[in-house]
Formats: sequence, structure tokens, C-alpha cells
Amino acid sequence: MSDASDDYDDDYGPGSDDGFGYESYEGSDYGDDGNDGFDDVKPESMKLKPYEVAYEVLSVGDIQRQQDKLIEQVASILGLSNQNAMSLLLFFKWNNDRLLEQYTEDPEGVLKKAGISIDDNEEFLYELKPVPGFFCDICCEDRKGLLTFALECGHRYCADCYRQYTTQKIVDEGESRNLTCAADCPVVMNDKSIQKIVEPAVYERYKTLLHRTFVLDNEHLIWCPAPNCEYAVKCDDVSAKDLTSVVPTVTCKCNHKFCFGCGLPDHQPSICALVSKWIKKCEDDSETANWISAHTKECPKCRATIEKNGGCNHMTCRKCKYEFCWICIGNWSEHGTSWYNCSRYDEKSGVDARDSQAKSRASLERYLHYYNRYANHEQSAKLDKDIFVRTEKKMTQLQSTSGMSWIEVQYLAQASAALQECRQTLKWTYAFAFYLERNNDTHIFEDNQQDLELAVENLSSLFGKPIQELAEIKVQVMDRTAYCNRRRENLLSDTAKGLAEGRWKYQVQIK
Amino acid sequence: MSSLCLNRLQEERKQWRKDHPFGFYAKPSKAGDGSLDLMNWSVGIPGKKGTLWEGGTYPLTIAFPDEYPTKPPKCKFPPNFWHPNVYPSGTVCLSILNEEEAWKPAITIKQILLGIQDLLNDPNPDSPAQADAFNAFKRDRALYERRVKSQSKEYATQ
Repeated sequence: MSDASDDYDDDYGPGSDDGFGYESYEGSDYGDDGNDGFDDVKPESMKLKPYEVAYEVLSVGDIQRQQDKLIEQVASILGLSNQNAMSLLLFFKWNNDRLLEQYTEDPEGVLKKAGISIDDNEEFLYELKPVPGFFCDICCEDRKGLLTFALECGHRYCADCYRQYTTQKIVDEGESRNLTCAADCPVVMNDKSIQKIVEPAVYERYKTLLHRTFVLDNEHLIWCPAPNCEYAVKCDDVSAKDLTSVVPTVTCKCNHKFCFGCGLPDHQPSICALVSKWIKKCEDDSETANWISAHTKECPKCRATIEKNGGCNHMTCRKCKYEFCWICIGNWSEHGTSWYNCSRYDEKSGVDARDSQAKSRASLERYLHYYNRYANHEQSAKLDKDIFVRTEKKMTQLQSTSGMSWIEVQYLAQASAALQECRQTLKWTYAFAFYLERNNDTHIFEDNQQDLELAVENLSSLFGKPIQELAEIKVQVMDRTAYCNRRRENLLSDTAKGLAEGRWKYQVQIK
Repeated sequence: MSSLCLNRLQEERKQWRKDHPFGFYAKPSKAGDGSLDLMNWSVGIPGKKGTLWEGGTYPLTIAFPDEYPTKPPKCKFPPNFWHPNVYPSGTVCLSILNEEEAWKPAITIKQILLGIQDLLNDPNPDSPAQADAFNAFKRDRALYERRVKSQSKEYATQ
């Protein structure tokens, strides 16, 4: 693979941090796809690998700034106040293109639909004030000095009622976009009016909800799905229709690595559509049904499901006592003299039945082949977490027994991290391969997969060694770690290029 | 029963007695001991003139929750009332009666009743609440209208 050799060349350069040159040639003769790697002159650290996407992790503060920027942008284009621009953006679910398009066509209609009254409200103060002779239509209070509140529309109610109404909408219903006047009237409550009327804590809640909708409404933003993580990830180059040609994997600042497209944990190199198919297949019992059809037959009389677990072809149904031949499912009494050797075996109906059984068995075995390997790596990835804990212990032990410094024992942590990452990738290569058509490209893919598998197991085997030996094999561990990482990169790069070129052919329909 | 709820209902009653649209009635029901139960009202809605619903006054019960007017009241026709937006239990499906849709605390009983009167002859095909009337409304308009007619006789204005 020429890419790989390019990478290896780079390793000899001054920027290389380990400088191992002698193991570099092992992996360079597989599956050359003819792509040269010379098209990019950016430094190695800046260059995106073929299977990586550009993204940005945003904090709540960043999101607020992005909102403000968008609001100001719309306000300056349309000559509106920031408040009204924000209300409009909320109405259009933060889609400013659609907003500008519709607004330029029919400004008044859009404002009316969005519930914005624009007469002389630039300075509308949303004051809480007493009004002489006031009667609140909600609570029917008419006390003197009662504070009242109203929006631009002038539907005035007492401040307590308005506060309760707004608070209930925000806190109980989680509403942040569609807050309107307390009367049967479409005028919207903007940010400023909400801040005036509700308690500070409720206003904070309102802001949080707003940020949430801002992210949810934006195709290029997603919340990090890790529990308690407050970051969002922005990925401008990927939209829903691209998900058949890229696997946009991102890593949040909290270290959670996940797919931007579907939010599931890292599933490179498999595309989202195949991942969801695979997960569904593994979860539902369609395979149980396959097993049943491969291993059992039904009693021709009472339809009880029977598994033949030994013995001859003369079956007696335990339920209805019907006697039949396991091979041809015919009535046993009609077998005449051909005891224990079904003469009807080669008849057409028998052949058909056997064919369908064989097919079903083959499909089941095929599935199990991939599933077992997928599940194995999933299990191993879990065990890797234990390994990591043990590794850390080993690292401290190593420091004290061999007199190595902290920095010198870091190779174990790196090896452990590489193992985890490679197993995660391997796991999904099996789900991917399950859906691939059998052709030459698939063979190359499976060769790559096999190489990575071998590299991972080789590295993994070193971890079992006792402490004393670990120091001696440091070079070997580092060697194999680097090799694993490289194999993984090769596999992912080749798959990603294949996706971009549309090279992979699947056995199933991808919508 | 909160005082906010009670105050408001007393005021609603006062306003209704002072002035209400022609043909309607609305009164709090009587509790077992003969006292007024402000939380449950029985009302009547006349079908609009010039519509299939004319000639009937349709009985409805309104149950106010303790959280009223923060939350909307529940309005019920008799069970199996023939209308696409009325559930088999009789509960009316209308946006202004839905807390998460268009309910506002300032909506009055009068507005609710006028809203339901409008709904009678102007069903909302986007939110069917019963299969029978909805299917007839969509596919067999003659049957639908026949049933509306006979229902108006069943609830003929006294």
C-alpha cells in the first residue's frame, strides 16, 4: 500500500518520536489501491486522514456566542432589533436561510405568523406596574397597587398570573420557542419579556432549553451523548445524505468517541445504515427463527416443532404419537419395506425440502461466523478495560522494580490504548463484512481485517507476560503497538476511500 | 381547591349570568347535599343556524382541575357522541383545551363554548378522535350527515 509506505517514510524524518525503522516493511505489500499519497503537502499533524472528518467541540459558552452571532447577522440584514431577529429565528427553528428567503418575499406576513408586532416597540419596556382600576381576568383580583404585565398586544394580566403561566410553560412543559401571550393571542414573548417576568432560576432554565433547541434544530450540531457531558460537536461538512459515504467519527472534549451521524459509539469502518441493520439483526429474534428452521421440523400432523437429537429416521411425535419419516416427512406406514432407508429421499419434493434446509443452515452459519467474531471483540474490548487497570498497576510496579522513570513506562499505556481502539474497529469490520458482496474488493478488505486481527492478537499476547519480562520486551511491545496502529490506519483509510468512491457493494439495500 | 381556582370560577359564573350568547346555558352542578359544585358545570351548546346541527342543544359537562386556570378544564359530551373530534368517551379534542397546545389561562368559559360550537359543524380532519364518525366524514358523507341529523333530533332544543 503506497500510503503506508509514505507514512513509513515520514517515520524516518526528524519529527518521528520513536524512530523505529526496522519493522516498517512488513505491512507494505497488501492491497495497493493505486492512490498515491503525494497530493498533500501540509505537515503530518494538520493533515486529515481519509477516514477523519473536520469538527469542532463547542462549550455552552460557544453555543451562546454562535447564537448571538446568528441573531446579530439576521438583525443587521433585515434591519430589525436583536429581540425581533431572535424571535424570528426561533420561529424558523434557527434556519436563517429559510427565514431570509420567506422574509424577503413577504415581510409582514412572516412577522404576523411569527407573532411579532413591530409598530413602535423598539423601546417596549415590559414594565411591571400598577394600573388604576385594573381587574385581572385570570385570577379575578382587583387589589389596589396590584402589579401588572403585558406584551406589545396590550393583553394585561396581573404579574403573578403572568409569572405562573410563563413559569409553567418553561418548567413543566419545557417550552422555549413557542411562548405566546397569556390571552388567546399569537404575540410571542421574547427573551427580554421573559427575563422581566420570571424568577432568575427559571430564566436560566429557559436559556438552557434554548441552547438545546439550537443544537437539536441544527443539522450540523449534535450533543455529546456521554452522560453528564455538556459539550456539543459541530461538523459542517457532513449532512444526513453523506452518511452512506463517510463514517464521521468525532471525539468530544470529555474523551467520548462517537459517530456524528447516529450518535452511537465509534463504529468505523461500518456506515451508520449497516450499523443499525446489524444491531437490529442481533437484537431481534430473526436468527432464532433461522435456527429453528435449520435444526427442527414440524410434525406433519400436529405441527409441534421437533428437534431430532439422535436416533434413526423413524420418528414418533411425542405429542400426538404420529409416526413419520424424518427425511421425507411421509407417513411411516407407507414406507413399506424400506425400513431405515428412505427410498423417497431423491424425489423432487424431498430435494426441494433439503435445498431450503441447506440454504437456511448456510445463512445461519454465515451469520454466526460474523456474529461470533463481532461479539468476541466486543467482549475483548470490555476485558481491555480491566487490562488497562492492570496495566496502570504494572506501570507503577515496573517503575519500582526496574528503576524506569514514569515517562519510560508509558509504552504500556499506549499499547493498551491501541488495543482498545483496534478491537473497536475490528468488531465493526465484521458487521461491515457481513453485508458486503463477495467480490475482489471484499477480499482485500478481509485481508486487511485479517492483518489487523493478527497484529492485535500478537500485541495482546505480550500483555500476559510477568512484570520482570515486560521491561525486557519494551522494544517489542512498542514495535507491535506501532504496527497495530498502522494496520488500523491502513484498513480505515482503504475503507474510507472505498466509501467515497462507492467501491463497496452490499448485499442489502441502503436507503 | 385553591382559592385562585375558586375566585376565577365565581367570577366566570358572575360574568355568565350577566351576559351570555343566545341559546347556551351553563351552570355549576348540584352536589349531593344540594350545595353548588363550582368544579363541575353542566352546559348546553346549540347547533349553529343554517347547519346540520341546527335544532339541537348538545349537553356537555365541564370538569375543572384544581390547577385551573393554569390547566384547562375537561369537556365531555355524552358517551358515543357522533363527531369526528369527540372520543368514544365523549371527551372533546380541541387545541384550546389542550394544555400543551393552545390553552391559555385567560380563555373564558364563553370562549370555550363558542369554540366547541364552531367545531361541531367544522370538524378538524387532522385529529380524529373516533373511527366511526371520522370514517363516515371522510368516505360516506351521506351517512355522516344522516347521523348528524338524527343526533340533532335526539338532543332537540326544548
